[in-house]
Amino acid sequence: MARMKFICDTERCIECNGCVTACKNENEVPWGITRRRVVTVNDGIIGQEKSISVACMHCSDAPCMAVCPVDCFYRTDEGVVLHDKDICIGCGYCSFACPFGAPQFLSTGAFGVRSKMDKCTFCSGGPEANGSVAEFEKYGRNRLAEGKLPLCAEMCSTKALIGGDSEVISAIYAKRVSVRESNGRYPSTDIFGWSTAYGPSGSPAPTPTPAAKIPGAKS
Amino acid sequence: MKSTFKILGACLVAGIMLTACSEPPEIAAKAAKRPDVAPYMGADNGFMTKGWTPGDQASWAEAINKRNQRQSEYSRVK
Repeated sequence: MARMKFICDTERCIECNGCVTACKNENEVPWGITRRRVVTVNDGIIGQEKSISVACMHCSDAPCMAVCPVDCFYRTDEGVVLHDKDICIGCGYCSFACPFGAPQFLSTGAFGVRSKMDKCTFCSGGPEANGSVAEFEKYGRNRLAEGKLPLCAEMCSTKALIGGDSEVISAIYAKRVSVRESNGRYPSTDIFGWSTAYGPSGSPAPTPTPAAKIPGAKS
Repeated sequence: MKSTFKILGACLVAGIMLTACSEPPEIAAKAAKRPDVAPYMGADNGFMTKGWTPGDQASWAEAINKRNQRQSEYSRVK
């Protein structure tokens, strides 16, 4: 059985925000909620700028599922983490637990009233009937049931964002890394991904920032 | 004897009051998690792709796999 995941290739992402727009349009996500967003580090520094498209990572051991007091989350056989909005009480615990900021809430009312939680569904809807109006209104499109993949990944112009079966997309990414290595970029890339993320083998371990340099930290 | 009746009465009153804290079965049933239908069963709309049979998991997996491969330009451009 497939295990659905996303991978974003920072070497390819050009911060066009096409994935963000596609997600909002395809699922008719309301104002105030952004299921997918592009994060850029070293913005404006030539040669060091890197962008990554972030949404729910559909964790294999999801912290949102662990902390939910009403147990509204479930994982499908395809490894997609979904939730039932009819059970969600909008407490916000999941948004504190998630390291990616995926669960989001509308707060349009007075006194900080929150809506039901909303997040990326890997374009696979919710517990309502597949492709029904009720499902679309609550969760957006169910593209998986239509034989498609999430639109954000499918329409990515540079194919920086790829989504689908984890084994397939990691093989696609591994191929890219090996081509980059053979082209002279990132030499001595031993295993795909890791060397790019943490430096080539033999790199010195990063030195922790001294407490004296962190404002407010206790030494 | 009187004190025993008082204790029993207090227990009865507490029992009646605590029943208000319980969850009626119809609310509990509403909050129960609903089973989701697998994506290979297909969608009830006009946006289904062709080339696979709804309800057949193997054909759905094959269709998704083919679609997945389109994300690799190395397999598209030769």
